[in-house]
Amino acid sequence: MKRLMPPRTLFITLTLLCLLAIWLSLALGPVSLPLLDTLRAGLRLMGAPIAADGLEQAELILGQIRLPRTLLGLGVGAVLALSGVAMQGLFRNPLADPGLVGVASGAALGAAVAIVGGSWMGGIAEWFAPYLLSACAFVGGLGVTALVYKLGRRDGQTHVATMLLAGIALTALAGSAVGLFTYLADDATLRTLTFWNLGSLNGASYQRLWPLLLVVLAVALWLPRRAQALNALLLGESEARHLGVEVESLKRELVFCTALGVGAAVAAAGLIGFIGLVVPHLVRLLAGPDHRVLLPASLLAGGALLLFADLVARLALAPAELPIGIVTAFIGAPFFLFLLIRGR
Amino acid sequence: MMRRPAALLTLCASLVFVTQALAADLPQRWVSAGGALSEWISLLGGAQRLVGVDTTSQHPETLKDLPSIGYQRQLSAEGILSLRPDLLVGTEEMGPPPVLAQVRGAGVRVELFSSTAQLAAVDDNLKHLGALLGREQKAAALAADYRQQLEALQAKLKQAQTTQKAPGVLLLVGHGGAKPMIAGKGTAGDWVLQQAGARNLADNQGYKNFSAEALAALDPDVLVVSDRSLDGEQALQALLKENPALAASRAVKDQRLVRLDPTLLVGGLGPRLPAALHELARAFYPDAQATLAP
Repeated sequence: MKRLMPPRTLFITLTLLCLLAIWLSLALGPVSLPLLDTLRAGLRLMGAPIAADGLEQAELILGQIRLPRTLLGLGVGAVLALSGVAMQGLFRNPLADPGLVGVASGAALGAAVAIVGGSWMGGIAEWFAPYLLSACAFVGGLGVTALVYKLGRRDGQTHVATMLLAGIALTALAGSAVGLFTYLADDATLRTLTFWNLGSLNGASYQRLWPLLLVVLAVALWLPRRAQALNALLLGESEARHLGVEVESLKRELVFCTALGVGAAVAAAGLIGFIGLVVPHLVRLLAGPDHRVLLPASLLAGGALLLFADLVARLALAPAELPIGIVTAFIGAPFFLFLLIRGR
Repeated sequence: MMRRPAALLTLCASLVFVTQALAADLPQRWVSAGGALSEWISLLGGAQRLVGVDTTSQHPETLKDLPSIGYQRQLSAEGILSLRPDLLVGTEEMGPPPVLAQVRGAGVRVELFSSTAQLAAVDDNLKHLGALLGREQKAAALAADYRQQLEALQAKLKQAQTTQKAPGVLLLVGHGGAKPMIAGKGTAGDWVLQQAGARNLADNQGYKNFSAEALAALDPDVLVVSDRSLDGEQALQALLKENPALAASRAVKDQRLVRLDPTLLVGGLGPRLPAALHELARAFYPDAQATLAP
């Protein structure tokens, strides 16, 4: 067996990688800013007393466009990766993905309702209209996941296998409902729906950022506390129970964290696939299955990977932009394959 | 008395200065996110001010050499700003809204135009563009000419309809002939058919897939084919090859298939439309070919 990377090395590497990603995400973009201007504008944004002469442009691009975008990317990547760990731990299967409990398909259904049906629901308050899509996606994701969880409960116990099947069934059901909305959509809404399904960090703003960052913080603080319990769960449910883990409440927390995290990520940036499946897997290949390492490492790796993907998304076709969902799969999948082949 | 010519001279000179100053105040670097708008801008002589266009701006050909800002609904704020524009023009289809807010926040003027298929929208848009380009007169002339062409066509069609019934027509929009969709009510295609004197047989809303059987039941006199990937005769052949059921329809038997440039159907009414409408009208009313020449 291949030797694993010691946790210390892994954390240092990932932290450096994350910092590099943040730096590149702030420094690079279609507008080429001189490095010095970026630095000075950055310092000014942090409150350093530097003269503003000639920095307006740099400050605007950095403060209003790149910084919210970078924070959004970090948050979305981190929470998707953490949810991936939670789901793979819950199903005790490295192929599990946050989509399994229906949160992604539920969010897609919510988005379809908002995009296509938005014009039919009259009387939406003006201040709420811009947030309708995010709110519907969030509620849809949470709603379908709650239903999946409910269907998996029997005699006060959560049957993971039943939940899995219920998730598959409800995903199919939500998929067909999305299909129906697609059919009813006109050209304009169809395009919006298609692009939403590919995800994007484009147009990030602080107002939309805070709810997501709060959720990310909550999930990132909560899940690592359950790392030991997740480790015990790896041995099997009854074994974990004998080790003193309250398995039922653990399952509930895992499902809830995933629904909340993925729901918020999807509401903020649309559907971004691949991160939740591959990042935990990747970290496990490097550092083994211990959740005390896996959880924080996935958080860092998820954020960094999404930022790198976003760099490609915004630079590859500049001044136009690629949907990020295309990029995450396009660079992530071959890399993943490479690791798999090398690890054999 | 000697003072007066001098005063007049000063007045003239200052007028020249004022107009020059105004011209310098007009936005110099334009980004256009709308196919029809880009065409109108080019016609008004503003093509050299364009520094970027979206993917729907396909005409005239020279626009394809400009940097592309992507699809009009999926713009990127920093991408647009990297072109250092003074002005971003687009239709109400342009977005997403947070990106427009960022572009505005960066001090770029954002001007919205209408993409509705109505003559009044063309008038308004041209007036607005003319003012932004400092070419009000040219814009007014173009608008009047546009209106005149369409109204003349309507008059001629009325004439033609005294001897020939309005044909029942279906507009098929497709990709290489496969799975074409029918243009129903409320689409730009529907407006085009009506303006060219046809009855649109489709009564669905928007663009919808159709079954061969439904098509046979509607039995159109003429089929208009708008193909996004193939041109001319090829598009018609591909359509028949992919949809053999069409061969039984009256339009195909009578060989009354007409093609329509699909770029005419997106982003509002553009300058190439009157000529296309005349061409369609000639195909719809073969007996009135001569009078329907543009």
